[in-house]
Amino acid sequence: MPPLGSKLPIYGQDNAAGRPGADGQRRWRSLEELESRRLPAPEFPEGAAEPPEGVSRRSFLQVLGASMALASLEACRPPRHKILPYVRPPEKPLLPGTAVHYATALSLGGHATGLLVTSFDGRPTKVEGNPDHPSSQGGVGSFELASLLDLYDPRRAKGFKKAHDPISHRSLMRELAALAASHQPDGGARLRFLTGATGSPILQDLRRRIQARYPKARFHAYESLAQDQAYQGARLAFGRPMEARHHLSGARVILALDSDFLQHGPEALRLAREFAAHREPGLELNRLYVAEAQLSITGASADHRFRVKPSEVLGFARAVAARLASQHGLAQLAPLGGQTRLARQAQVVADDLARTRGRSLVLAGPRQPAAVHALAHALNAALGNAGQTVDYAPPLRDVAAGPESLRELAADLAAGKVDTLVVTAHDPVYSAPADVDLGAALGKAPTTVYLAYRDDETAPYASWVLAASHPFETWGDARAHDGTVSIVQPLIQPLFESISELELLAGFVDLGDAGAHRLLHEYWRGRSAGGDFEREWEGWLGKGVLPGTATPAEKVSLDVAGIAAAVKAAPPPSQGIEVSFVPDYKALDGRFAENAWLQELPEPITKITWDNAAYLSAATAKELGVENGSRVELRLGGRAVEGATWIVPGHADGVVTLPLGYGRRRAGPVGTGVGFDAGRLRTSQAPWFAAGLAVAPLGRRKHDFALTQEHFSMEGRDIVLAFDVKAWKPEKIEHVKGPVATIQTPVDYQHEQYKWGMAIDLAKCIGCGACTTACQAENNIPVVGKEQVLRSREMHWLRVDRYFEGSPEDPQVLAQPMMCQHCETAPCEYVCPVNATVHSDEGLNEMIYNRCVGTRYCSNNCPYKVRRFNYLDYRGHLSPTEKMAMNPDVTVRTRGVMEKCTYCVQRIERGRIQSRLEGRVMKDGEFTSACAQACPANAIVFGNLNDPRSLVSKAHQDERRYDVLHELGTRPRTAYLVRIRNPNPELT
Amino acid sequence: MSGVIRRVAVEAKDLELLEGTPVLAGRPGDRQLTEDLFQPVWARTRRGWLALFGICAALTGVLFTAIGYTFAVGVGAWGNNIPVAWAFGIINFVWWIGIGHAGTLISAILLLFQQRWRTSINRFAEAMTLFAVMQAGLFPILHLGRPWFAWWLFPYPSTLGIWPQFKSALMWDVFAVSTYFTVSFLFWYVGLLPDLAALRDASKSRAARIAYGIFSLGWRGSAAHWRHWRIAYLLLAGLATPLVLSVHTIVSFDFAISQVPGWHTTIFPPYFVAGAIFSGFAMVLSLMIPARKAFHFEHVITQHHIDNMTKVLLATGLMVSYGYLCEHFMAWYSGNPYEYFVFFNTRLRGPYAPVYWLMLFCNVVVPHVFWWKKARSNMAVVWVAALLVNVGMWTERFNIIVTSLHRDFLPSSWANYKPTIVDWSIYVGTLGFFGFLFLLFLRFVPSVAASEVKELRRELEHEAHAREHAPAQGR
Amino acid sequence: MSSLFRPSSNTAFNLVLLLLVGGAVGTLGGLMVWARVPSGTGQQDPLVQPVLFDHRHHVADDGIDCRYCHTSVDRGPSAGIPSTALCMNCHAQIWNKSPRLEPVRESYFTGQPIPWVRVHRLPDFVYFNHAIHVNKGVGCESCHGRVDQMPAMEQVAPLTMSWCLDCHRDPGPNLRPLDQITTMGWTPEGDPVALAKDLLKRHDVHSRTACTTCHR
Repeated sequence: MPPLGSKLPIYGQDNAAGRPGADGQRRWRSLEELESRRLPAPEFPEGAAEPPEGVSRRSFLQVLGASMALASLEACRPPRHKILPYVRPPEKPLLPGTAVHYATALSLGGHATGLLVTSFDGRPTKVEGNPDHPSSQGGVGSFELASLLDLYDPRRAKGFKKAHDPISHRSLMRELAALAASHQPDGGARLRFLTGATGSPILQDLRRRIQARYPKARFHAYESLAQDQAYQGARLAFGRPMEARHHLSGARVILALDSDFLQHGPEALRLAREFAAHREPGLELNRLYVAEAQLSITGASADHRFRVKPSEVLGFARAVAARLASQHGLAQLAPLGGQTRLARQAQVVADDLARTRGRSLVLAGPRQPAAVHALAHALNAALGNAGQTVDYAPPLRDVAAGPESLRELAADLAAGKVDTLVVTAHDPVYSAPADVDLGAALGKAPTTVYLAYRDDETAPYASWVLAASHPFETWGDARAHDGTVSIVQPLIQPLFESISELELLAGFVDLGDAGAHRLLHEYWRGRSAGGDFEREWEGWLGKGVLPGTATPAEKVSLDVAGIAAAVKAAPPPSQGIEVSFVPDYKALDGRFAENAWLQELPEPITKITWDNAAYLSAATAKELGVENGSRVELRLGGRAVEGATWIVPGHADGVVTLPLGYGRRRAGPVGTGVGFDAGRLRTSQAPWFAAGLAVAPLGRRKHDFALTQEHFSMEGRDIVLAFDVKAWKPEKIEHVKGPVATIQTPVDYQHEQYKWGMAIDLAKCIGCGACTTACQAENNIPVVGKEQVLRSREMHWLRVDRYFEGSPEDPQVLAQPMMCQHCETAPCEYVCPVNATVHSDEGLNEMIYNRCVGTRYCSNNCPYKVRRFNYLDYRGHLSPTEKMAMNPDVTVRTRGVMEKCTYCVQRIERGRIQSRLEGRVMKDGEFTSACAQACPANAIVFGNLNDPRSLVSKAHQDERRYDVLHELGTRPRTAYLVRIRNPNPELT
Repeated sequence: MSGVIRRVAVEAKDLELLEGTPVLAGRPGDRQLTEDLFQPVWARTRRGWLALFGICAALTGVLFTAIGYTFAVGVGAWGNNIPVAWAFGIINFVWWIGIGHAGTLISAILLLFQQRWRTSINRFAEAMTLFAVMQAGLFPILHLGRPWFAWWLFPYPSTLGIWPQFKSALMWDVFAVSTYFTVSFLFWYVGLLPDLAALRDASKSRAARIAYGIFSLGWRGSAAHWRHWRIAYLLLAGLATPLVLSVHTIVSFDFAISQVPGWHTTIFPPYFVAGAIFSGFAMVLSLMIPARKAFHFEHVITQHHIDNMTKVLLATGLMVSYGYLCEHFMAWYSGNPYEYFVFFNTRLRGPYAPVYWLMLFCNVVVPHVFWWKKARSNMAVVWVAALLVNVGMWTERFNIIVTSLHRDFLPSSWANYKPTIVDWSIYVGTLGFFGFLFLLFLRFVPSVAASEVKELRRELEHEAHAREHAPAQGR
Repeated sequence: MSSLFRPSSNTAFNLVLLLLVGGAVGTLGGLMVWARVPSGTGQQDPLVQPVLFDHRHHVADDGIDCRYCHTSVDRGPSAGIPSTALCMNCHAQIWNKSPRLEPVRESYFTGQPIPWVRVHRLPDFVYFNHAIHVNKGVGCESCHGRVDQMPAMEQVAPLTMSWCLDCHRDPGPNLRPLDQITTMGWTPEGDPVALAKDLLKRHDVHSRTACTTCHR
């Protein structure tokens, strides 16, 4: 498969070369020029998404099928409306084969993450974090990165169906208008909307306008990972729902109550960055306590981890509170200090928190009941953290998006109170609680309009199925967790006939034909401070955020008595086996189950791919008579699912953790039938954990789990080095640094202009795996599927190794990103008979795919085993749209060639050519490798070792620096910095 | 060197005088020998031969089907993975190449050392060598990811303006193996000439005469022919002799120059060569014993030959055992944790430990039966032992390659290897193909060098005559 | 015994041997030659384009600079094929009735691009960047030849890897002053060696031969 766009088809160039414009403004005007160039009428019909017969799109699809060249031609067409490039990188003229960055945002559960999307000739090919966005700050997670693959998914829902008959966009709008009109007489009494939780200003405005037109209509919001309990907790504590906004930069002692804040939730990227920033000695180290059941990456990064059942977390929090009660103005909470089994440890934690008054923080996870959240608020108040490390603002999104409102809706539907239901929530039938039979209920409504991204579990129950546009295809806006607004701008014209939520809802206020861009533009024009709005608008688009839209913190008054009451009322810890539902690290709540990148991404702790498992501790497994891979029936309150168990070191006893989002029945060819659907056990009363799980082994046959790492012990080798900050001394790693005796005189690269190198700070790395996904997206790395992973042929250039240390019950977890080390004396090079892997003058270990004959000798001789081989043709089956996702700067490898991390040499060469054209030297930070750019924790730095001021040089000079397998004398260019832990002496 | 020669010569002399085991039983006349030795060529095709041939042909079919499949879907049809990037392919390659060594050794070296007991078995061994090397030759191409670019391994002036990597042992392999094949072939064929001529003359049908005539390159057996032939034969022997050492030495470099724990060992070259001869003789025995019986060659391939070969087996077996010992000692003595782990953890207790123990049994224990003359003279025992040694040498290569690779430096990258049906088909297929070629050889070419045997007979007569007339000498 | 072969069979046999050996050698040698001659590399093969565009006329007669049409040649990786609109800049006025330009007008009015035929095709794993070469003093002519003498465009350079390397290893002789980049038939006045030295310095040329310079 040719690297797309590496040489654009000529007609593609025709288009691109047609655009003048050195800077954003001119490019924007160039659209006018484009239009003035009398483009064929059907191409850009003003406003309308689609000409009547929908010729252009359908022919577009044929073209796609016909040939890749033509597909990229279509992709080269600019999106329907204006797009402005991001202003940050020195403006480059939009030339064929040149990357341009556009700022946009992606919402999950109503909270936005600001993104920078790299686009080649109108094809978005890579997602990065937007440094100017408060939630991402330049980092980006696997979900955002992988969302690009969803855009190009050839099996997305396409077109619009009314009762299984395809209808055009125009007639759809007509029908919608009619439908809307039909509900006007009774004020929309029989009209319902089921949406996801949203923070989008324009969508919220649209809802208001719909409410105005249909006073009796009702909006229901549903998110399977709702934050309701957090809001209820705030209501308990402050009398009204509040958004707690945490700030770890100031926090020295952190207590996470069943909160996986490094991976999940709207603050994850920012918190990861702030947390990691204070993990290096020299700075004032923070200390993290985590009380949780399942070993999460947050728990893995903790200095102390308390293994508790989810239902015991409250007890733990109470013990902490009790300790603080007397001297910290929580008198009313004093009597709550029940002697739980963790009381002693809790008291130590409490003292530690108290010691850093105002500079500590207690976080409660969204899975915990309101009482725990309330208690956390109380503790933070008592510790003087409120206003310091945490502040509060009124929420700007649906605060009730939990099962309750869904249950009401289902009831109304069942009672036949609803004529028309409009569903824009993501696949509610799959994610609905087990005790809400939404599918059946939907059947009751005469008309169900479903905005479907895929032909999923919900689609069969809907009478109207409308293909949803991907966020990268439409206009819109979104709010970050702190309220900051971003404009969502399309990167590409919709690949398939589709419509956005905005356009759909607009249909109910007779604005269906306006088009998302006009609606959005007018909405914000109405809210601009005046002056030159267009300039302002361009500024917003360019920067990716609307400055000054963050919601200011508000003062809150704590109702201690109320909290005390609530806590007293809370149920005691459960007996017996408890079940605990967690959002999955890859499928989340199932909305990413069809994403192959995420399916093949190893689960951070267990390294399982293409599966979910019932996680439990060794002790519990023994008790239940199961082992790794045992197939079991999980029974809870009359409901049962079949799954397979997996023993996780450090997992709490008496709990079985079930990741959600698997066992999809209609996800598509990738996700259907992968894993089991834990959601079948999940009820609206107990959405997160419940007592009384029965686990019954089923037969002897084992389930095959495809792991990317099978061996978890370091065998006492110096691979990941970790020290307690007290015990840490540079002398301790003398033996794994410095020159090694050698018979050959190593090449000296000091006199080269550039000497590329990388450094990975293991103290910062949280092991989330974002780097792996970023690398996969940047370097066109194929997905090989479960069967090949079982043969250990996964292709990830960058893997995150994970080792366990200490006792299996309560192990220390060590994560280590491992990719080609670019050894200066590389063992792989001299064994290749055809010179396919050689050293560059700047010391890069180059892998030349087109010279490789595939002897695989290099891999045998690589001590780090970071080389990957195309054993089969992993690229043959790509659909035209999937090919569009390829990075044109990187060769797509054929069958039978070796490949490996290149330090993103395509970025180096791009930067080199640009700098040489401008007659200057590449500056540090001008570009970086994909992994370093994505890393939310800033654990990876890449750059020029011959520039003494570069970050990477400093890192290589760091006293914590060491080389993996140093004694082999490979002189790796990638250095690691030892992991530093900050345990509490009183607990060790 | 001369010292060596003398020692070997003396030893051989004693062997000759071993009572009851002459190199040639009885005193058959030329005609007699011609008839006996060419009999398999003239005789009507026998049912047993047909049956075997059928089986081997079928397996050959399997082989080429598997090869076709591998080319079609890629080398991923095999079980190889990362870290075990080499497996059956290279195991079979090394195994077959090793087997190939016996032929050259017997023909060339023993010829130079003037070992009489070589004469009646050399042709046999050479053919075996040839066919074994042909099997081995398949694999370097087969195991490539992109076999259609295999020619990039040859240094030629290309329009790419770059050359192969001469530092790579695989590069050296290319030359070692191709040279080895060429020389073995020439050696075998030159040795064959007089007999082909004899066949030509003895052929009944004109077609056969013409066919054999062409292949005997116009041999007329004139004194000049014989003189040139002898010179050529000796020269080739001289050429081939260093190859016996060089080829497997270089093959062993494939491993020795890398730094994989379990490969990175200086003892590999000698230990590979010893192993090669070990397996080579084992293969000769396991083929010759049945053939000898089938063709009633007992008077030509006498107990004496078997006896000597088993002793060679014993000797090389001991060398191989010493190799193992050394490896383990060095692993412990060097204090290299990775080496130590491979030899004292992975191999002894790892998932492939059974293969390791099987190897120790076949290669270290089994040869010791040859201390006993009874065992040496019992064909059944010898045959089974030889077969076991063949198995043992295959498992040795499995241990070196797979077991070393599947657990090296970073535990995170450890993974097991599981051969696929294609792996097995190719392995068994080469056995079939080998048999296929060998059966053809037995059927259409004199498997014992008649001319040399006749020559030997005369020498023996002279010696006997001499001994009779000089009774004073000797012990 | 009766002779099996006639004396002549010796000659026959020798001939056969000769053929076998010669054939093998010949085939290999032939292939190596083929890889180097124009018919093998695709040189000297003027291509028929959908529009009978005549570089000779536009460059030599009209004296239009290469960069007027190939707009991005000094700014981006690819030289850029002119848009139909660009053609029409002139041909809206001149030859606007010519039947030869019908395809151009058609493309302009229907919006369907003109399917030009690619002349210089590098393998997909080769990343060539026009801008850096042009800005460092490698003239159009150096690779594309005397375009001003080509009625129909043809590939002049062999475009083999060794051809690229020859220049990357010793760029001096192929450099020219930046104001002469698009000149056809330019020859250095004075001592070419000295000029090469001077240009290498003036343009700050660092031609690289690391594999990733072209293969990524």
